[in-house]
Amino acid sequence: MKILTTIKKVVDVELNINVENGAIIEDGLQYVMNAWDENAVETAVQLKEKNKAETTLVNIGSGDDNTKIIRKGFAMGIDNAIQIDDPALENSDPSIYARIIQKVYENGEYDLIITGKQAQDTDSGQTGIILAEFLGLPCVSNIIDIEAVGDQHIKVSRLGDAGTEILELELPAVVTVSDGINEPRLPAMRGIMMAKKKKINVMDLAGLGTSWEELGGGSPQSEITEFLKSETRQAGQKFEGDAAEITAKVVDLLANEAKVI
Amino acid sequence: MTKILVIADIKDGVLKGSTKELLSKAKAIGAETAVAAIGSNIESLSADLANAGSDTQYIADDADLELFTAGPFASCVVDAAKLFEADLIWFGFSETGKAVAPRVAAKIDAACASDITDIEIDGGQITITRPAIANKVMQKIKINTKQLVAVVRAGAFEADPGISGSENVVKLSAPEPDLKAVIKEVVSDASGEIDLGDADIVISVGRGTKDQAGIDLVKGLADDLGAGFGSSRAMVDAGLLAQNKQVGQTGKIVAPNLYMAMGISGAIQHLAGMTGSKTILAVNKDPEAPIFNVADYGIVGDLFEVVPILREEIKKIKG
Repeated sequence: MKILTTIKKVVDVELNINVENGAIIEDGLQYVMNAWDENAVETAVQLKEKNKAETTLVNIGSGDDNTKIIRKGFAMGIDNAIQIDDPALENSDPSIYARIIQKVYENGEYDLIITGKQAQDTDSGQTGIILAEFLGLPCVSNIIDIEAVGDQHIKVSRLGDAGTEILELELPAVVTVSDGINEPRLPAMRGIMMAKKKKINVMDLAGLGTSWEELGGGSPQSEITEFLKSETRQAGQKFEGDAAEITAKVVDLLANEAKVI
Repeated sequence: MTKILVIADIKDGVLKGSTKELLSKAKAIGAETAVAAIGSNIESLSADLANAGSDTQYIADDADLELFTAGPFASCVVDAAKLFEADLIWFGFSETGKAVAPRVAAKIDAACASDITDIEIDGGQITITRPAIANKVMQKIKINTKQLVAVVRAGAFEADPGISGSENVVKLSAPEPDLKAVIKEVVSDASGEIDLGDADIVISVGRGTKDQAGIDLVKGLADDLGAGFGSSRAMVDAGLLAQNKQVGQTGKIVAPNLYMAMGISGAIQHLAGMTGSKTILAVNKDPEAPIFNVADYGIVGDLFEVVPILREEIKKIKG
């Protein structure tokens, strides 16, 4: 089985993020691998361990932070890495990312594409699903379990509105993974050392066999025009002391001030 | 006139409140409204769908649609959108919406926006507002396609009890089944439970609830209040609660009138799922717990002591 997984560099959401004049202040931000992509990498590596798969990751971007997360993917056990690095790609929308991964897929022969269910920076959750639609492949999003069924099928569990949905997919297919699927491994020292020596296959859009125009880059479907500060809640009244007394007080406030019970 | 197609949220054969919220917003911006209802044994819902504020009801009712699969569901939405000539296609905040909206957008070559909290339409130019980066910022996004497919964030729009529609049913033909993604069964069935998205009160438990006894204690309070029952990630990871209970960036996003956080410290990922609530009550032993920074009312104390008193005091008030 040949598995393609996608990894994205995202801002570390644990840090404070400030907005000024409609833009995010970049100073002091740190970048990490999107947490759900770590789950995607872990899923790929576990499938490889069980089923002799070859695993490849694809990353869109440039700079040290992207190199760092690619190396982490190697250290976790990914075999090959493709990086699409082209200056045209700043601020692309999900459909353009999906078109790029479509090209990567078409240039290789993959049986399974695994993406995180969403990215921590945009929280959009679209790219993997749109990609499947572009490729005409079956797709299940938000999965919490996966196993190979012979060479041609996989069985997945999806967290849906009705409960946990069990589906069987014909390969090739696309899945997007939830964080509930696994606990991403911490790379061992040996893996980290080996990861430093591995070659990253870097290419620009021409190298990928496409162009900004062909991807629809000249006319994006949507554009972020402005960032605004979120309205933050203020801390309200906090009560300490005798449990019976303060609880009665809070129930009174819920009923008579907030009027919610 | 802008035409807005709202995809009905149906659970256990009942129309959920979010559908009316979306239709209310659509009417408020002066749009012509239609609703698409997709499922099995749902034809009897046509009057409810009209009462929720739709003027046309596109209904796909087929035994094959009983169990959700995204492909056939998306085909039905595309059919309804074409018949209605919809400009905007809106989904309520659900796993169904999140799975189907991007497919529909790709099929009709439209932009897709997830998790929107507001929308402006100015001379045909659509601009949406949505949170990003675990709610830490808001984005304004300009839509460059004529059509937009959007998933509306829970609690973003309010239902207008005064709106109504008219019954005008258009039947959609059954979609082709997806032979490459076949649903086999649904386990840990969520039917019969109070839906977190619809509940006026949601009570969630966290690490401080400790164990099954703690969960049962808080569930008692939830039962008293008819509240939805949620969880932080800690209790899901500990295997004490199912993943569909998880409130947060990766799970359910809720915006009830009252959210009670029991023994939840308030990690950023959890806050991203509940800070849209109107009123927040937090109970936690640690006075420095970050949950108190977003709570309207905070009780510093042991929930094993506090919850029984809460139940008693609430019973006194509610009689």
